[in-house]
Formats: sequence, structure tokens, C-alpha cells
Amino acid sequence: MRKDLRLELRSGESTLALLALSMLVLVVLVFALGAARVRSVDAAAGALWVAMVFAGMLGANRALLAERDNGAIRGLLLSPLDPSTLYAAKLCAALIFMAVAEVGAVILMVLFFNLDFDASMARLAPILVLGAIGFSALATLLSAITGRTRGGDMLLPILAVPIFVPALIAGVKASAAALAGAPFESMGDWLKIMIAFDVLFVTAGYLLFEHVVGGE
Amino acid sequence: MNNPTIRNWLGFSTLALMLASLFMVFDYVPPDAEMGIAQLIFYYHVPLAWVAFASFGLVAIAGIFYLWLGDQLWDDLGYAAAETGMVFCTLMIIAGSIWAKPIWGTWWTWDSRLTMTFILWLMYGGYLMLRASADDTPQVARFGAVIGIVAAMDVPIVIVSVRLWRTIHPAVLVTKQGTHGLEDPRMVWTLLVSLTAFTLLWAWFLMLRFTQLRTRSRMSKLAGRIALATVAASDPK
Repeated sequence: MRKDLRLELRSGESTLALLALSMLVLVVLVFALGAARVRSVDAAAGALWVAMVFAGMLGANRALLAERDNGAIRGLLLSPLDPSTLYAAKLCAALIFMAVAEVGAVILMVLFFNLDFDASMARLAPILVLGAIGFSALATLLSAITGRTRGGDMLLPILAVPIFVPALIAGVKASAAALAGAPFESMGDWLKIMIAFDVLFVTAGYLLFEHVVGGE
Repeated sequence: MNNPTIRNWLGFSTLALMLASLFMVFDYVPPDAEMGIAQLIFYYHVPLAWVAFASFGLVAIAGIFYLWLGDQLWDDLGYAAAETGMVFCTLMIIAGSIWAKPIWGTWWTWDSRLTMTFILWLMYGGYLMLRASADDTPQVARFGAVIGIVAAMDVPIVIVSVRLWRTIHPAVLVTKQGTHGLEDPRMVWTLLVSLTAFTLLWAWFLMLRFTQLRTRSRMSKLAGRIALATVAASDPK
């Protein structure tokens, strides 16, 4: 399983596409918001999460398309692997992609939005990790669904974004607070929401993945 | 469930109660002292909200039973509930908007309950788009069940997060003091009649759609069997 993931990582193609996409999203938002608003941490936090959601979506779609084009998913299902294990592996792969895209997006955000590399970055990191776990858990489950329907690439955002909303609200609020230099205690409620979301959707994905891929 | 007599009876009692609730709203109940006539839409808004949320709950329950038992009946029920829920949810949002324009001075605002409802509406819109974009196979039925369960699981977190985010929606049925905000007993009666009328209307719609989907599943099963029989009959061996 790990070999499968490393192969995808080594090609570097998806990672590069994700980074390029996050950069484009940030550039578009800088133009859309205008110079005056670009200086606020709220705008920066919002832009960062928009970039993250888009990158996550692209990552999930690409990972699944590669599997489908090679007919590899069938092979994986024929192997004596538990579908839940397959889900865990897919989740890890999606998470790695998103983490790479996030590091890139944070660096670009600091440059584009005139922020400083300081202690607030350290506080931002756990928030982004929580967000990435939640989004990958959701997108991995849903992309297994949308990957096998007509117009699946379009369906993934339509299904994933509304469900991701609670983590998105919490993530944007917590990130803005972190960038403004607030301590962790002040964003306890938002972090709790994100942790609850992650736990719920990793569990749901783990349990339901079997029903999604099974019976072919 | 497929009994036409029950269906007709349900339809006629819905009609009678709808007329009664119309009469009560426009002639019997005293309008609210502060909000005036705009408040009357409350007697439709609340029942619409109740049936919309009930159907989305039903989608999740039907989804769990479908994944558990694998009977097509549960998928048909879930699909019918999602469609009916979507109709009532849309009507609820429209009714709320009409009320909000004179009272809040805006059609829409990002209040917590409004946001929650809108997110729910988007989720089930996604569910219906998924169903529309694929043929009715057992696989798609499983996809629908999974989406229904995941969406319902998400609702509590959505509620908590949007409530922390912001709220201005009036709490009428259970106010912050723990009592309800309907001071006149005639208001309570009108609400109860409207609630019953809309619940019956919902049950009727649901039943019609469910029966239709059941027929369709049965027909596709029969069509499959006929196709098999034709192949078997034409096989020279």
C-alpha cells in the first residue's frame, strides 16, 4: 500500500499542480479583495482556506482519476485487503498531498498578504493540520462516490463543500485569531469543533468506505 | 402503504385541514401586536420547517436501514423523503424570506439558523444531483445512503458552529426564558392545526412518491427478468 502512495508522490506531478492551484487562488483573491483589504489578517486567513479547499478538491479528484484510469482500484479490491485499510491508506495519501500544498500556500500567503514569519505560524500549523485531516477524510470518502458517477468531477465540490462548512467556519476563525497573535485558549471552541469534525468524519469514512467501494 | 383508499383518505383530510388552517390564520388568530400581519406567515413557516427537517432525518434513517438490510424499499423511501424534504425546505426558506423583508429589512441574512438551513438545503441538493447524475443501480442507492448518513451526522456540528458564529433568529417556541412566545391560546391552536395540516400534506406527498418509486423498482426488476427470459428462450442450446 505504501509503495502505491510513494509512487504517486515521486512523480511529483500532482503536488506541483496543487501548489500552482493554491498560488493562483491566492493571486485571484489578492486582486479581488483589493490592496486595502489585503493587509488584514482576516482576509489572509480566508484566502488561505479558499486555497486549501480548492487544493484538497483537486488532490482528491486526481488521486481517484489515476486509480480509475489504470483500473487499479479493482485490483486493490481484489487483493485480500480490508476496504477500511484501503480507506486509511487513501486518507494518508490525500493528507500528505494537502500538507505539502498547505506549506506552499502558507508561504505564499505570508508574502502576498504582507505578513511576517513569526510565532503565529507555529500556532497556525495545528489548525491547518486539523483542517487537512477533516477535509481529506471527507474528500476521500466522497471522491470514491463521485469518481464512479457521470460528471463526477463536478459533483465532488457540490457534495463536499456544504458538509465541510462547520470545519471551514471554525478553521477560518481560528486561523484569523492565530495570525492576529491570539493564544490558543481564546480559540478553544473553534478547535473543539474542528477536532469533533475530524473524529466524526474519519470514523464515518472508515466505517462507510466498505459500502461505497464494495459490491462491484 | 400502497393502498389507494388510505392515500385518498389522506389527501382529503389534508385538504380539509389546509382549508381550516387557512381560515384560522386569516380570520381566527389575532395578529402579533408588534409585527402585525407579517407575523401570520409564522403559521406556515414553522410547519414547513418541521416537515423539512423530519424528511431529512428520514433520509438518514432510511440510509442506515438500506446499508443494514439491503432492501430496495429503504432506498425508495430515502429518495422519496429527500425529494419531498427539498420541496418543503425550499418553501420554508421562501416563507422565511417574505417574513424577514418587512421585519428584518432584508430578504436574507447570515444568521445561524438561516445558514444552517441553507447548508442543509445545499447538502440535499447535492444528494439529489448525485441521484440525477446516475442510473438507479444498487451501487447508486448505496452512495445515496452514505451521503444521507454523512449529511445527517454533520448537522449537529453545523448547528454548533453557526451558533457560535452569529445569531439573530427569533426563538418563538422555546424562548431564552424557557417559556414559549405565543401569548394568545388562539395562536397555539392555529399553529397546531397548521402543523397537523402540513404533516399530513407531507405524508401524502411522501406516500405518492414512495409508491411511484416502488413501482419503478418493481418494473425494472421485471424488465431484467424478461430480458433474461428472452435471452434464455432465444438461445438455441
